[in-house]
Amino acid sequence: MTDQQITIQRYNPDTDSSYEESFTVDVQPGQTVLDCLNAIKWEQDGTLSFRMSCRHAICGSCAMKVNGQSMLTCQTQVDAAAERGDPIEIGPMGNQKVVKDLVVDVTKFLHQFERAETWLEPYEDQEPPEKEYRQKVEEFDHWSHASTCIHCGACYSDCTVAGVDENFLGPAALAKAYRFVMDSRDSKREERLEFLSESQGGIWDCTRCYMCVQACPKDVLPMDAIMELRTLAIEAGHTNNHGSRHHKGFTSGVRKRGRLDEMMLPIQSVGVGRLLTGNLGAHKEMMDYTPGAIRLLKSRKLLTIAQRHGANQAGREQIQRIFDEVESEKHHHDVDNDAFGAEFETAIGGH
Amino acid sequence: MSKYAFWPGCVARGAAPELYTSTLAVAEHLGFDLVELEAAACTGAGIISDGEPYLQDVLNARTMAMAEQMDLPLMDICSTCVGVHRLAAEKLRDVDYRIRINHHLAPEGIEYRGLADPRHLLWILLEDVGIDKINSMIRRPLEELNLGPFYGCYIVRPERTLDFEAHPTRRNSLEQLIDVLGATTVTYDGMTKCCGFPILTTNKKNSLTMAGTHLNEAQSKGADALVTPCPLCHLNLDAQQPDAAKVIDRRLNLPILHVPQLLGLAMGIEPDKLGLTRHVVDTRNLLNKLGV
Repeated sequence: MTDQQITIQRYNPDTDSSYEESFTVDVQPGQTVLDCLNAIKWEQDGTLSFRMSCRHAICGSCAMKVNGQSMLTCQTQVDAAAERGDPIEIGPMGNQKVVKDLVVDVTKFLHQFERAETWLEPYEDQEPPEKEYRQKVEEFDHWSHASTCIHCGACYSDCTVAGVDENFLGPAALAKAYRFVMDSRDSKREERLEFLSESQGGIWDCTRCYMCVQACPKDVLPMDAIMELRTLAIEAGHTNNHGSRHHKGFTSGVRKRGRLDEMMLPIQSVGVGRLLTGNLGAHKEMMDYTPGAIRLLKSRKLLTIAQRHGANQAGREQIQRIFDEVESEKHHHDVDNDAFGAEFETAIGGH
Repeated sequence: MSKYAFWPGCVARGAAPELYTSTLAVAEHLGFDLVELEAAACTGAGIISDGEPYLQDVLNARTMAMAEQMDLPLMDICSTCVGVHRLAAEKLRDVDYRIRINHHLAPEGIEYRGLADPRHLLWILLEDVGIDKINSMIRRPLEELNLGPFYGCYIVRPERTLDFEAHPTRRNSLEQLIDVLGATTVTYDGMTKCCGFPILTTNKKNSLTMAGTHLNEAQSKGADALVTPCPLCHLNLDAQQPDAAKVIDRRLNLPILHVPQLLGLAMGIEPDKLGLTRHVVDTRNLLNKLGV
């Protein structure tokens, strides 16, 4: 038995007061953080509120912040959460309103699944099969990681975009949407890709910060799913948005110069076509970039046109050859599928 | 003398030239021999891979093959570069995938054998130079300064790719550097979050809200400056700071330093050589505090 100090961020809705409270718990080897919470509730303070149910990392009820990171408390041993002797801080999940103590209102999180319509939409014009709708094993293997979500909300709790934007669909709902985009039994692939890439709060609002990948207790790899959705959306021709213009502009800059061209990127993201056709919104967006560009010039940060043009002379020919080869290969193979396959294998195998 | 294959990244050779010059300045003091990979390409920063993941892997396999061919460890000075390089290295451990990618490198007479271990200058300082040697090179301890670390995503996540288990010092590398240089670390929630730069052109309001929130938090906790190993974070936190202040409706005046600038200051290198006059947020107050 070891004494473990646990500091809990508490909230009392009756008095609208937030405060920290410390408890000391006798901990045995192998004991989880959730065991500690139960010990406190049963033996020290029955008013402490938190969600829990299965204690087997299946129900997804007990996600909280442990030392600032969201995780399932039933899956986290005390030894893993703190160096021996160090106190453990437990708080409610982030990006959601606290109801009491460690309980948050998950309505907003669950609403994102409704917005993304994450349920199977079968082909209605097809005769149902004799036994069941089948998905090939090879197909399932490619997206099986995204099917293991238990809706615990740990990813949403740590998501850096959900923290500033209520409208963002968030990692869990986007990963679930990906799962249905990939499912050959689903009839709404095209509509889904269009919604996810063109609507506000969709795939292009993700910052690629990897918080969700780090937080997920089930290796759903939500961010990897979002990235693959981007590729699929571009391939499907949903390119009238800032995100895919940004990708296209960035990539063509690297093809030309071997390096990123910061000067051209804002123009390409706003859209040369939109600017040339006198789109007022596009011109307003360009104006918004002007003060930033002037600041960069003033602090002597931007390179001259000659310097930019001279960048990476040494590698340019080879880099352009590679771009051309990959482009022409694309017409022969399903190149991107292979690349993603390798990524998911290493990602999942590496855990 | 320690010799490295050196990839400066696009931003150090573009909109953050002070990162490049300060890196060269401290490298000289540390006795590093840096062989710049002048013919290498942009890592793609996760943006090429939005639509072309395979192409991004080929470009990074090529860079890593160049370092391998010289038999030199690969050094990055950008969190994003090191993260993307390591993600590529992880995928390229798959032999079949590597063979396929190597077809594109063969015409240039190079091959990637899967051995690269790309590291950031910040890690190299702690792992190759070591705390004791850094300590012995300090000429101007930064005792007056309260500094907030700002990591940038790719140097702290995903942990599996960054080999944190084998190298636990990587978890709090910035705090260790701040500590050995004599300054005090200011911790705050935003220090390992996203600066917002990746979505600056797709969702400016969200991007600047993120930058502004972190800056405001660090400033109100008493930070004199932030230090970051990522020049993309630097762009959003420094160059965009006036706009970020407007978005969150707060006054912000927080200088942002690159890792080699901070080290260089402590080593006694002249601020001019470290490019400290090339910031959007003025560094003069900070330098005054140090008596420079």
